[in-house]
Parts: sequence; structure tokens; C-alpha cells
Amino acid sequence: MSEAIEGDRSFVDKFPEEARIVRSAFLSSFFALLLGAVFGIIQTLHRTDVARIIPSTDYYTVLTAHGVFLVISFTIFFLVGLFTWALTRSLDRPLVNIKITWTWYALMAIGMTMTGVSILAGFVSSIDMSADVLYTFYAPLQAHPLFYTGLAVFIVGSWIAGADWFRTFLAWKREHPDERIPLQTFMVLTTMAMWYIASSAVAASVLLFLLPWSLGFIDQVNPTLTRTLFWFFGHPVVYFWLMPAYLLWYTVLPRIAGGRLFSDPLARVVFVLFLLLSTPVGIHHQYLDPGIAEGFKFISMTNTMFLLLPSLLTAFTVVASVEYGARQRGGTGLLGWLTDLPWRKPEFTGMMLAGLMFAAGGFSGMVNAGMNINYMIHNTIWVPGHFHLTVGTAVALTFMAATYWIWPQISNKPIYSRTIGLFQVVLWFIGMALMSNAMHAQGIMGVPRRTAEPEYSGFDYPTMFGGFEELNIQIAIGGTLLFVSTVLFIGNLVLTMGNPKVSGLADPLPPALSGPDDAPQVLDNLRLWVGIALTLVVLAYALPLAAIINRGGLLGSGVGTYPVWLGPAFDALVSALTPLADGARDAAAALVGVVR
Amino acid sequence: MGQNETAHGVDDVGGDDAEFDPIGTLTLIGIYFAILVLSWVYIYYIEFLGRDLVVVG
Amino acid sequence: MHIHAYEKLWLACSVLLILFLIGTVTYGAVGPGIAMVADSEQPIDAQNLDESERFADPGVEQVGENEYAAYVVAYQFGFTPDPIVVPANSTVTFYVTSRDVTHGFEVAGTNANTMVIPGEVATLTVETAEPQEYGLLCNEYCGAAHHAMEGKVNVVSQSEFESRQGGDGE
Repeated sequence: MSEAIEGDRSFVDKFPEEARIVRSAFLSSFFALLLGAVFGIIQTLHRTDVARIIPSTDYYTVLTAHGVFLVISFTIFFLVGLFTWALTRSLDRPLVNIKITWTWYALMAIGMTMTGVSILAGFVSSIDMSADVLYTFYAPLQAHPLFYTGLAVFIVGSWIAGADWFRTFLAWKREHPDERIPLQTFMVLTTMAMWYIASSAVAASVLLFLLPWSLGFIDQVNPTLTRTLFWFFGHPVVYFWLMPAYLLWYTVLPRIAGGRLFSDPLARVVFVLFLLLSTPVGIHHQYLDPGIAEGFKFISMTNTMFLLLPSLLTAFTVVASVEYGARQRGGTGLLGWLTDLPWRKPEFTGMMLAGLMFAAGGFSGMVNAGMNINYMIHNTIWVPGHFHLTVGTAVALTFMAATYWIWPQISNKPIYSRTIGLFQVVLWFIGMALMSNAMHAQGIMGVPRRTAEPEYSGFDYPTMFGGFEELNIQIAIGGTLLFVSTVLFIGNLVLTMGNPKVSGLADPLPPALSGPDDAPQVLDNLRLWVGIALTLVVLAYALPLAAIINRGGLLGSGVGTYPVWLGPAFDALVSALTPLADGARDAAAALVGVVR
Repeated sequence: MGQNETAHGVDDVGGDDAEFDPIGTLTLIGIYFAILVLSWVYIYYIEFLGRDLVVVG
Repeated sequence: MHIHAYEKLWLACSVLLILFLIGTVTYGAVGPGIAMVADSEQPIDAQNLDESERFADPGVEQVGENEYAAYVVAYQFGFTPDPIVVPANSTVTFYVTSRDVTHGFEVAGTNANTMVIPGEVATLTVETAEPQEYGLLCNEYCGAAHHAMEGKVNVVSQSEFESRQGGDGE
């Protein structure tokens, strides 16, 4: 099939069933984005004391919802939609069994609904259900069992999605035994291999410890162990959010810029590096944890620092691909070509601004990774300042920008207003620049993250880079702009869905300047890379996990249980029963005394 | 041949691509490198090591 | 595999940057001697801190010439003792543990910062300078009143420290 024919037919023309899945996944993703944005604006204005519409005790319900809906639901639903598109498109073949595809979509939707309900129930005091444990759900704070169950169902759904894609790839492989793995498929498969390794730990933590504990089958858990298992998953998951953005930067952005990918082999090397290095680094989130030896922390830091390498390489390859596009469009000079880029296209400007923010996030990420400098910024608002640049802009803004390019091709409907789209992506950039900058600055002052009221009665923060209040205003303005930007995005998309269908919206992707034939065959040997990745994980985690279990026991010892989900009714019951229990204990003691 | 990555489509420009030198990219990324190094030196040696209560044990 | 010469140059610069970052952190560890919170202390029974010699009635005590140990218990939602009073121009080791959930121990605006995990004792040793009052806050979400969890670390002159210790009857 030639590209000329493909050029006439959009993705939805060729793969209507897959296109429906992609649209469904994107809509689930954007619904979560809208919810996340609503909680985001409530939280921004509350924290900065501009407007407080909820009591401070409910802030943590808002924060849990903001985190879970955005970094689990928004990102991963977009990922499964995008990967379904990328795999089907690059293999040029339908998925093996669309019923299985709908099954994993349904599981993910049901799982997220369960978790979402358990969180939102925290606002309704008459329901004894809550999950105010934040996205990190550190034990011994305990959520309602529905929270953990929903997460497990969601993760199982994502595993079946990966299996669906691997099966489709294997079917393609039988049909094309001698061809290289197409680049987008290669990216999907390596990312999913990384996801299986990473999510196994959080699944183990939930299924072996947290869920049985919340159901009352076991009395206590080891907080350091469940924390470590969380971060075993919690760092690679950030690359799980990021890899779809990388896929877009490598394969779609050059096209939009009017050029082509600079180097296909290097793109493959980068994804292999992420598969190898994403997981054995999680302990860098635990630099300040007692009970973990300094040597393990240092090993984790070394791995983390080398994880900078694929991102630094990506910066070069992607910018070079864009420069090639600009030169094709007639751009000249050392930097003059920058003016010859399609800045009026929201998909281009959005992705470029996202990349620029990611470069800035690279710096704060270096600080987060630097073991002993962690004393300065650990758990301060510097950290959310950092990840609002990475997941909150590099990922989120790329997803929104890409939607302006991809949605017409999966629905045959042109975007309602590309001008609003352009305004929206720029607004996001400005909002995030204000908010993130102020968050970093407050973090250096020592202002903590994850708090409803960061001002304290007993002391004031030192003044630097402007005062605390001044920075609060920047955060509030930035957060408001981000909320407006999200509403414009969602509104534009809803109006787009009302557009009539047209044809001719296909935009096929050109091959790379340096194609896959130039890439060593060994890069496509996924078994080898998964084997090395697993080895590195064992090397990084076997000893720390053994030491943690050795210290605190598999199920913890002497650590209590602190449910956040048993409401006033339960408290009343406990206080009613306590005298009885005390009485019984006294009676027992008396009895023991008599027997003795 | 279905996948675009291995297909040589109509807009394949041909052999002179091999001559492309991304000098603009090298310039931009060089500036970024300098910013990273200077910012790191500032934040580590001045901001971090200059604060009270350095943890020594 | 063909890699453009500029890209090779950038690869080399990237590796140098990474080695420079690791080198800086290593310098911090061996030069100024910054050590990480680690596993030097034995685990502890979080629900029976009352039976612990150090944490039943936590406070500050002298352990050597110009060396002090400050035992601190973090709980929902506060720190004991409060304020934590330590002498100026001395070496103070904080031993911090939790009797309930995971907390943070952050002396605002300084480098004294650690996680406080039930069942573990976090230790960090700092050098105090001139007398000054610092804010102490919990930087890990620990429940509905997390934002109310605060304390003070007061660095006071040697003479004031001695008179306070005496005044407490210790």
C-alpha cells in the first residue's frame, strides 16, 4: 500500500473499531482531566488563602482526588488510547480481538470508578467511606478497601491492554517475519515491558498487604516495606506518563514541523535505556527515610543520574528533527530558522512549549536526584513545582496539543477552533511558568507540600526571591490560568465532537532521516533488554528489600492502623465500647489475680 | 509495505539529507548545557551548602 | 549505526554532566561531611514508646563535651518536646520517631529534614551556630489536621541552656 492511498484515508476510515477505542480512552482521560482541574483550582486557592470554600480537613480529599485523577486516570487513559493508535497505525493491521480490547478498557474504567467513588465519598460525612491517603497511600494511614480494589482492577486492565498489543505484534511478526519492528510499535512494547516490571511491585503491595489489611485480615503492615514497594512503582510510573509524550515528540512533532525524525536508531536506544533504568531508581524518593542504608541510596542516585542520559539525548534528536523541518521550510541562519516554524499550529506550539518546560524541569529533577541536596527540598513545595513541569506540562500539554492533531484523524471531524487551541496551549504555558516558578521558590524557603495551610502560628518563613505572600499570589494566578486553559481545551473538544464528518483529514507520518535499517538488530531483541532490566532491578532492590523485611518484619511490628475512612459512627461505636473493653480487661486482670 | 517508518513515501527528499548538520540545535543545546551547569553550581554550593544546620551525621 | 558527529559531542557532554553531578554529591559527602539519614538505629516498637528509655519522656541531654542528643516524638498532630531547646555552637543529634503514622521533621529554612516512620528512629546530627529560633513543621501528610502540626527548635546560648535544664529539675 502506498502512502498516496493512505493519504486519502484517515485512521478512522481504515480502523473504525480501533478508532472508537482510542476515542473512548481519550474521553475517559479528558473527563479525569476536567475533574482534576476542578480539584486543582479549589486546592490552589485554598492553599494560598485566596478563597477557601471547603474546611481545611477536606483539603486532603481534594488533594487525593487531584492526584489520583490526574496522574493515574488522565495520563494512563490517554496512554492506552495513544498506544492503541500508534500500534495499529505503525503495524498497519487491526488488533487481534477487539472484544479483548473492550474488556481491558472496561476493567480500567470500572477500576478507576471504584477508586474515584471511594475518594469522593470522603466529602459526604454520612457515608463511612473515604480514601484521604493521597496518591502515595502511605501506610499506616488506611483507605477504604474499595480504593485499593479499584486500583488493582485498573492495573490488571492495563496489563491486559499490554497483552493485547503484544499479541497483535506477534500476529504481525508472523505475517512479516523479516521486517524491523516499526518505531512506534517498538516504543509501545518497550514501554509496556517497563510497566509490567514496575507495576508488579505496587500490585504486590496492594494485594498482599494493603487490601487484606484494610479488610481486617491482617492487623498491621510494615510502613517502610509498603513505601518502598510504592516507590519501586512510583518512579517508573513517571516514565510511563512520559513515554507517550516522547512517542509524540519523536514520531509526530517532526512531521508537524515539516520535517522528519533525525535518527530512528537513536530513538530506539533511548527507549531501551528507559526500559533498563526506569525501575532501579525508586529509592531516590526515600533518601531521607530511616531504616535504609546510605549505600543503597547512593546506588539509586547513580542509576537516577544516568537516567538523565536518554532525556538529554532526546532533547538533541527532537530539536534537530524540528530544525530539519524549519530548514526544509526555508529557514536559515544559526538560530534564524526558529522563525520559520509553524508557530500558529496549536499542536506544534503546544508540544514545543511542553518540551521547553521539560528542559526546565530537568534542572529541578537533577536537584531532586542529588542525594544529599535532598535535605534542602525534600517534601517541600519545590517537588510539586518540579512535577508540574514534567507530568503537569511536558506530559499534559503534549497530550492536549497532540489532541488537536490526532482527534480529526480518529473521528473525521475537524477541530472546532484552532485559534482557541493556540490560545489555550500558550495560556497553559504562562500559567505553569508562574505557578511552578513560585512553587520552586517557596520550596527553597522550606514551605511544605501537601498541606491545607502552609502558614504557621509559631514562625514565619525566611524571605528570599520575594516574600511568601507574593509567591502565593503568583501560585494563585498561575493555577487560575491553568484552570481556564483546561476548560477551553475541554470546551473546544466538545464543540469539535458536534462538527459534521468530513474527509481528507489524514496526515501520514514520513520515515526518519536515518531509518531503522541503520539500527543494529540487537536493539529489537526485546527478550534481551527485559532480561537485563530485571537483572538491574534485582541488583538494586534485593538487598534493600531483604534489609527492610529483616528490620521491620514482613507484616510490620508494633505499628498501629489509622483508618481515615471510618467516620463518626465508628468513632461513636469505639467510644461506646471502650468502657466495656476496659471493664472486661479489669475483670480479666482480677480473674488472673484470683487464679494466681 | 504498510508501516510508514520503513516506507519511502512521496515526500522522501533523497540523498542530500545525509548532509544535514543541525548546527542550530547544537547551539541551543550548548546554551542549555551552560545554564544547567551554572544553576547547579549555584544551587548546590551557594544555596544548599550555605544554609544553617548542615547535617553532618 | 550512524550517529551524527554533533550528536556524539552531545552524548559526551551529557555523560560528563552526569559524572559532574555525581561528583558534586560525593564531594558534599566527603568534604563538608554531609551524611544521609540511614539505618544506624535499631527498629523500635512504635506503640510502646512509653517503655522506651529514650522516648518515654523525650528531651535534650548532654552526651559528650559540647555534644547533645535531642530525643523527639512526632505524633498526630505535634512534636514532643516543644520547643526543642538546644545550645548554640554545639553538635546536636536529633533522634526522631513516631508513635502513630508517618510524619516529617523539617526545621524550616534549614537542611535539617527527615522522614519520621513509625517503627524506625531517624537520626541526624547538625552543628548549631548562634542563638536563633527556628520553626519546626511536619512535611508529610499525616491526617486531617496535618497543617496544624508544628513546633519550634530554639537554639539558645550555653548559659541559657544550662539554666533552662536546671529549671526543669534535670
